[in-house]
Amino acid sequence: MLLEEHHFTAPQRASPRLLSLSLASRSEDLQWMGGTFSTGPNDNRELLSTLPVTPRSGRNLLRGLADPRGRVGRRGADCESMWRGLWTLVSRAARGPHSPRLCTRQGSGYRAPGSGATIFALSSGQGRCGIAVIRTSGPASGHALQSLTAPRDLPPARKACLRLLSDPRSREPLDRALVLWFPGPQSFTGEDCAEFHVHGGPAVVSGVLQALGSVPGLRPAEAGEFTRRAFAHGKLSLTEVEGLADLIHAETEAQRRQALRQLDGELGDLCRGWAETLTKALAHVEAYIDFSEDDNLEEGVLDQGGSPWGWEAETSGIQPPQVLLLSLSFPPSTADSEVRKLEVALGVHLRDARRGQRLRSGAHVVVAGPPNAGKSSLVNLLSRKPVSIVSPEPGTTRDVLETPVDLAGFPALLSDTAGLREGVGPVEQEGVRRAQKRLEQADLILAVLDASDLASPASCNFLDTVVIPAGARNPNGSRQRLLLVLNKSDLLPAGRSDLHPDLPSHLLLSCLTGEGLDGLLEALKKELAALCGDPSTGPLMTRSRYQHHLQGCLDALGQYKQAKDLALAAEALRVARGHLSHLTGGGGTEEILDIIFRDFCVGK
Amino acid sequence: MFCIRGCGRRVAACLTKQHLASVRFGGDSAAPWTPHFDVVVIGGGHAGTEAAAAAARCGSRTLLLTHRVDTIGQMSCNPSFGGIGKGHLMREVDALDGLCSRICDQSGIHYKVLNRRKGPAVWGLRAQIDRKLYKQNMQKEILNTPLLTVQEGAVEDLILTEPEPEHTGKYRVSGVVLADGSKVYAESVVLTTGTFLRGMIVIGLEMHPAGRLGDQPAVGLAQTLEKLGFVVGRLKTGTPPRIAKESVNFSILNKQTPDNPSIPFSFINQTVWIKPEDQLPCYLTHTNPRVDEIVLENLHLNCHVKETTRGPRYCPSIESKVLRFPNRVHQVWLEPEGMDSDLIYPQGLSVTLPAELQEKMITCIRGLENAKMIQPGYGVQYDYMDPRQISPSLETHLVQRLFFAGQINGTTGYEEAAAQGVIAGINASLRVRHKPPFVISRTEGYIGVLIDDLTTLGTNEPYRMFTSRAEFRLSLRPDNADSRLTFRGYKEAGCVSQQRYERASWMKSSLEEGISMLKSIEFLSTKWKNLIPESSISSGKSLPLRALDVLKYEEVDMELLARAVPEPLKKYTQCRELAERLKIEATYESVLFHQQQEIKEVQRDEALQLPKDLDYLTLKDISLSYEVREKLHFSRPQTIGAASRIPGVTAAAIVNLLRFVKTTQQRQAAMNRVPKTDQQLHDTDRLEESQL
Repeated sequence: MLLEEHHFTAPQRASPRLLSLSLASRSEDLQWMGGTFSTGPNDNRELLSTLPVTPRSGRNLLRGLADPRGRVGRRGADCESMWRGLWTLVSRAARGPHSPRLCTRQGSGYRAPGSGATIFALSSGQGRCGIAVIRTSGPASGHALQSLTAPRDLPPARKACLRLLSDPRSREPLDRALVLWFPGPQSFTGEDCAEFHVHGGPAVVSGVLQALGSVPGLRPAEAGEFTRRAFAHGKLSLTEVEGLADLIHAETEAQRRQALRQLDGELGDLCRGWAETLTKALAHVEAYIDFSEDDNLEEGVLDQGGSPWGWEAETSGIQPPQVLLLSLSFPPSTADSEVRKLEVALGVHLRDARRGQRLRSGAHVVVAGPPNAGKSSLVNLLSRKPVSIVSPEPGTTRDVLETPVDLAGFPALLSDTAGLREGVGPVEQEGVRRAQKRLEQADLILAVLDASDLASPASCNFLDTVVIPAGARNPNGSRQRLLLVLNKSDLLPAGRSDLHPDLPSHLLLSCLTGEGLDGLLEALKKELAALCGDPSTGPLMTRSRYQHHLQGCLDALGQYKQAKDLALAAEALRVARGHLSHLTGGGGTEEILDIIFRDFCVGK
Repeated sequence: MFCIRGCGRRVAACLTKQHLASVRFGGDSAAPWTPHFDVVVIGGGHAGTEAAAAAARCGSRTLLLTHRVDTIGQMSCNPSFGGIGKGHLMREVDALDGLCSRICDQSGIHYKVLNRRKGPAVWGLRAQIDRKLYKQNMQKEILNTPLLTVQEGAVEDLILTEPEPEHTGKYRVSGVVLADGSKVYAESVVLTTGTFLRGMIVIGLEMHPAGRLGDQPAVGLAQTLEKLGFVVGRLKTGTPPRIAKESVNFSILNKQTPDNPSIPFSFINQTVWIKPEDQLPCYLTHTNPRVDEIVLENLHLNCHVKETTRGPRYCPSIESKVLRFPNRVHQVWLEPEGMDSDLIYPQGLSVTLPAELQEKMITCIRGLENAKMIQPGYGVQYDYMDPRQISPSLETHLVQRLFFAGQINGTTGYEEAAAQGVIAGINASLRVRHKPPFVISRTEGYIGVLIDDLTTLGTNEPYRMFTSRAEFRLSLRPDNADSRLTFRGYKEAGCVSQQRYERASWMKSSLEEGISMLKSIEFLSTKWKNLIPESSISSGKSLPLRALDVLKYEEVDMELLARAVPEPLKKYTQCRELAERLKIEATYESVLFHQQQEIKEVQRDEALQLPKDLDYLTLKDISLSYEVREKLHFSRPQTIGAASRIPGVTAAAIVNLLRFVKTTQQRQAAMNRVPKTDQQLHDTDRLEESQL
């Protein structure tokens, strides 16, 4: 095995030295294989990580504050080579197109704990399976392994051992599992890695993910981060790397959609409310730091929401004139009380595991098309049950109907939507609006057209507004996954396959006769395999990430309380906001400045 | 060689007597009567003086060209230096041996550190400055700087030649043409034109071309730059009226006294030139509803406010304050303009109403009832160049060896200008000597944040420094600017004097020694509580505490600590600055540990350099969207780190860029492999010889 040295030894500003990425064998990953498993002790426990909802907060939500699109973490990878920062910068750039001005001057929002983050993720595929593989990579892998299997020593390198896994905090047993220890650099990523082969039930997987998340220095992996680290350590060849950009893209998109779905609804309102509170609190603290003394920050402006707060000009011997209500406040009292309230709310939310908005699992497949194309018939056909009412009347389906299905072996959530058309009654219009919203969040669109009615305005309009734009690369260079299905093929004259010369690639189907169903299922299988290929974007990981960031935010707010000076307090708020930004988007310095200049009259 | 424009109007450009000789005979170019310098700096403001002095310190024969020698170092707006964020910049300029901090220590009349209670990371060193003294001291410094020549003259055009093939850029600048048609040849040219590029002064409805009240604007130069293809924008700023000191009733106003003792701006000064008790106070007054009325009734007489040109959001004129925040009372600071000046500068009253209405407005403010306006406030509108057209060394992408610094890049403020001036001066000099550019990273200083923000994001309002712009604020403090920048300035740029270098080295080693000493002393918390009863150390639990941890307590300083443990800590209290810096290091120790990790990651990204000559628009073998290509083409990021900060450059684009750079390097390395091996063999032989 050829592994060239790739330390970056050139002076800081000289060109980076040649780096040879050699194809390293990954056979060590395959050394385990086999092994017998006993039944897991407790597979039917409630999911530990259901996400409860607290009542919608009454605060005015700042629109435009939370932009959940295009968010990927910006945690730094920890590697020993010059490639170490790759992930940081890649993910920093990943936010670029969606929040052009805000993201770039990202404050020091997000901190890697200690000397470098150790990441973990569910590495096996989604859905039901006998064994699930959870993997960690990074310097704390050994510590994580010991924490979960304590008080045992690390198992011998690259040998499968049966261990009882338990939660490091509560010592509650989680599962009997095979564990493997791969000390770096002879591992998939080149870092210290550990693998946990646990029983595949969601409760066990979720429990182990939770337990790992509670080990100091560990955090959920971002999309494609394992591959990226492997790349960073020269464990992938340049040809393999070619696919990396696409991979990052696809996963970024998948996470974006996931985040969109997660933030659609009460949970989203809650997160956005918190982020808004925090951003405002930070903006006020920053204003207090940057402007209160130099720029005559006007006290009157700060008297908001009935809480009298002003900032004392630090000027000896100055008596405030009577028009101003000055009160000594360190740190600014409104920010302080808001942060305290937020801390309580976050704590309650994190502890409250009973009520929950479950994240729906599986790929989101949305069936869309003009009215009366046969969308509902297709949904019923695919789910093998009468989910939707079908009738020859256009506009029968008015709401979004969801049904979980198993499509070609992959879990999926199938949504039937109202036919897209204009100039209809208010109820159907709402249905159309919901359908369009669902389209934005779809992992895969099944576009249905009536094969016998392709020339109609509704069909053409649908082709122009949904099918063609999905095929075109969006500014990020990725495409929306879409399968074009021409239904009612039974109505076509026999032998006519040249429907339209310039129609995009499509599948012919008759929901009535079932003809073409096999072809459709085959195509679906291909798309879903690509979609579900990366488990890091799956619901379990998403939930784990969600909890991780909320906990991180809560911890940082604890730091805020203890801060000895305002610069340290602001730093804690920056970190807290960085965590929330992962869930809601936004988070740049410019955003803070915008709030400052909107709320305060700052100037000489 | 060719001129872009014909020669400008003939304006008498006189040479000061003392420099006539050096200009006439100093040149060594082919044309015997045409002067030739290494670096020519155009403009004698805060950017220009720093640039010229820095280039000269770096060892380049430098010419400073200005309209008038007697306006060198003029403070054309507020009579103060420093502040929050700005004080940080001054400390960094000083760490590179720049002028403004030292001059301020000789010219201030009211020194005050802002944000005293908000933490040392955000302390803002600030001072009211005597305009006259500052100008005098600055001119003395500039006129006595070795290798630096000063000449009066208006620059009308640039002399351009074919570009050097090994660098990017369409042209190369090789000198300037003055208004009288004479030429000055130069290896590098620094433009610090301030508000003079097509400057326009506005008072009420009157507008007239001027760079500053009483000075001609630079129109020819602006046209030249536009013709070359620079993207030009327009900004506005304003200044308040000046009031006669004896006409103000100070007795009814709130008084602000200066700090005692005064904290100097410069690392090499222990104290400032003036005792605290001799310094002048400032006074505070407020606007009232009558002021709002006058502004609102006369908006039709105020074309500066109506114009769409972007002014800053944060330093608004009284008009925009009234419009954006109606029914509020706004502060007005009455600041002295100098020790023996008869003028008062009403900070917060920047206004462009017609002069008589300005006076009317002033007299309805408390304490100013009988105030006499000496000079009306006015607005200035001026051209600036989109700063994404310059590289982090401040050299333009378009014209080789042409550097921009100061307001021409869209910034506002003396300190921002001075910071860019130092960097432009250093780099103009390094460029002449074929040395790599001197670039400060975002992780190293506010100067780095300023320049990185400008060059990667551009600006559409006058850019001003705030501490909230720095993501590593806790590391980039005013107290440690010397340890961040002085050594680099000394070694890489050669702009730092031996004396300063030695002082910074002494400070650095003393700090390191002190910190490791503080870490090594460890007692139980109960013992610490007994030793320092004043402290709030909890004696409930008996835990081992290092002296460094004890120093973190707000009420503990080195003095107290040294009293508790005289040996070996006493010696660290002898230097006040050292004792204070140890305390600050202790305060931020734990947070800085984490910040260091993040800084390293950013620096690693910045170590990945992109080839300067990449033509992003036509580059093949790389999959980039046209949108991304255009952005990269315009901003020309120098490192992968900078590229990732450009809005719209996607994660995938970054990976593709990386891959492209890697493969290119591999190809090059493969070509160079054979000679390299020879060299290595040769080196090995030598090594063996030396071992023998």
